[in-house]
Amino acid sequence: MDWTERYRPRRLDEIVGNGPAVRQMVAWASGWEPGDRPLLVYGKPGTGKTSSALALAGDMGWEVVELNASDQRTRAAIERIAGQSAMTGSLFGGGRRLVLIDEADNLHGTADKGGARAIADLVQSARQPVLLIANDLYGVPAELRSRTEPVQFRALAARSIVPRLREICREEGLSCDEDTLRLVAESAGGDLRAAVTMLQAAAIGRSSLDGEAIATSQKDERATIFELVGAVLRDRPDRELMALAWEVDDRPDAIVAWLEEALSQLPQEARCDAYPALAAADLAIARTFRRQHYTLWRYATALAVLGTAAAAGGAGVRSRLSSPGRWRWMAQARRRRSARASLFRKLGAWMGVSRADLREYYLEAARRLAAIDPVPVARALDLDADELGLLLDDRELANGTVARLAKERREADRAEKPRRRPAKEREDGSAPPPPPETHPSQSTLF
Amino acid sequence: METTDHTIWIERYRPARLADIVGQDEIVERLQSYVQHGSLPHLLFTGPAGVGKTTAAVALAREFFGESWQMNFRELNASDERGIDVVRNQIKEFARTSPLGGAEFKILFLDEADALTPDAQAALRRTMETYARTCRFILSCNYSSKIIDPIQSRCAIYRFRPLGPDAIRDGILQIATNEGLTVTDGAVEAIAYVAQGDMRRAINALQGAAMVSDQIDESRVYATTATARPDEILELLRLLVAGDFEAAEGALRALLFEHGIAPGELLGQCYRALIRLPMHRDLKVELIDHLGETDFRLSEGGTPELQMEALLARCVLSARRYAC
Repeated sequence: MDWTERYRPRRLDEIVGNGPAVRQMVAWASGWEPGDRPLLVYGKPGTGKTSSALALAGDMGWEVVELNASDQRTRAAIERIAGQSAMTGSLFGGGRRLVLIDEADNLHGTADKGGARAIADLVQSARQPVLLIANDLYGVPAELRSRTEPVQFRALAARSIVPRLREICREEGLSCDEDTLRLVAESAGGDLRAAVTMLQAAAIGRSSLDGEAIATSQKDERATIFELVGAVLRDRPDRELMALAWEVDDRPDAIVAWLEEALSQLPQEARCDAYPALAAADLAIARTFRRQHYTLWRYATALAVLGTAAAAGGAGVRSRLSSPGRWRWMAQARRRRSARASLFRKLGAWMGVSRADLREYYLEAARRLAAIDPVPVARALDLDADELGLLLDDRELANGTVARLAKERREADRAEKPRRRPAKEREDGSAPPPPPETHPSQSTLF
Repeated sequence: METTDHTIWIERYRPARLADIVGQDEIVERLQSYVQHGSLPHLLFTGPAGVGKTTAAVALAREFFGESWQMNFRELNASDERGIDVVRNQIKEFARTSPLGGAEFKILFLDEADALTPDAQAALRRTMETYARTCRFILSCNYSSKIIDPIQSRCAIYRFRPLGPDAIRDGILQIATNEGLTVTDGAVEAIAYVAQGDMRRAINALQGAAMVSDQIDESRVYATTATARPDEILELLRLLVAGDFEAAEGALRALLFEHGIAPGELLGQCYRALIRLPMHRDLKVELIDHLGETDFRLSEGGTPELQMEALLARCVLSARRYAC
């Protein structure tokens, strides 16, 4: 049997690491009332998101209804599967059902047409606790993100992975020294599932493990891109550089991006020498993709690696090598684009104008109004910090405002709960009460 | 010559058992251990072409299931169908149905999994988990960086390396003995040079040479594979770096027209030799750029002879600039 399943935690107190996130989930679940915000649990793979959600349901005595990307997630399918469970109470009244929506960052794409919208609606009107899971917070459609409470799971430190591996070894009667366990934990890169998979892959048919046994089934060694860049700057022989470039399990476009980032360490003359070679490599890559002529890749790698090495002239590594800035900018740009689109959608709907008109005539006015007092605007439009930040062009003010509103909302929720109880009597299929007014008409604001 | 044999050797000599796979000893040892203990994690095989990924997957299934292997094993090539529907329909359909013939689970081999779109990969990851009891997945790819992290996190990753000259030599000599061929040491070396770590290419080279005669030496290998000898390539490069256009032109014509070497192949050989050749690095980068440009122009449909002549001219001009 798969060890990741066999040793999947059944209770929350068995979850490795991420204490704050787990506590946040418990607080949410134990005080849950219809109308509460769903949780959006996000973070890297193998950090315990799904396990925690399942364990939470187990601890609470809730049933679980799952909805994941291997199912069709069209509006119709979502309403059929989750709609019922989410809208009505359990068949026998008592227990609740946790509606689990995995891979909430994978709702776009033509196959899931209407899926995001349907989930947003479901989330709005759910009579059951809803929990969404995602790897990438900004891959979650903004309309969903703004209606949920985010919970972040962080990559696990190797030192918290080791004890879990040790337990598993004990259970399986496997002898494995501490150094080997640490090697497994470290090469898993914060991913507990990868660590357990690696351990099992190496352990089948063996009664003891050492470092050598681990090496064959190690998670892929991405680290060598650092070695490659380092070797390029240190002026190693061409053959060695090309052999390293071959070893690095990354495509030439990634290598070019890393080398470009490393150029920031070089004096400007060297950078000027290197750019033409990188640009030639870039062109070869573009041609590779456009013509689907993969032989061109080899020239790209050689041009980038040898060209940069020639320009660097053995300058050496001066400061820490970092991942390509271009990728960070791209992630930031994506985040901005997403915030911008949802801000425009909300503003447009609120003011009843088209996007073009909004940009041309109304945006400046809205911006000036928001600058006078951001609170009512943020409240009326249900803006998150990114959206408000864009509108105000003031990140700090936006963060403060959104934090204040969140606090206000929590207090309101608490005050409102006792009053909402009687409403549960009406769970007989009649329409749920309309959600609290979140979109006041224009006149109340302007 | 009584070779009226029409089988393709890469199929005839594809190892049926894990033990017959050459050059991947540690991986084979692990896979055999999985068979012995009837236990199998999801696997991700990464590595270049012709190093045994597909062979290992098929041999593993054979040994796992014995007689019923074909009922419980399915191979899909992701580059044929790369969308999300293949995951939601074909893959899921195979994975969810019970294994046959008393097997505990089935094995789905997804070749070129890096061709799957990210959406399809996302759908795949849950299928892998949901049906782990009835189905194990073996994914193969050239670059594991094109496989999304959540899938890598669910697989034991095995990195197949290009086969070294020794592994190629062993494989070739075994087949040669089987086929009653006489193969000189030089010929084996030539085959290893032509193969570049790819066993299928090596076997094809041997079969090609064997069709002409069962006495195989290096010149026959170079001739039947339409490959220039390494020293001919080095001579061409030497002439270019020396700036001697007319002599280089003569060498080029001999290779193209007398030896019948395809221009694309010639570019590849020049590239490989150039990487290893000691020379001024800036010049080397320029020459590589000229090679890449020519390769691109050929793929665009440029006239090969003209483009190759122009390549020589550009190389000579670059070399002369660095000479002074």
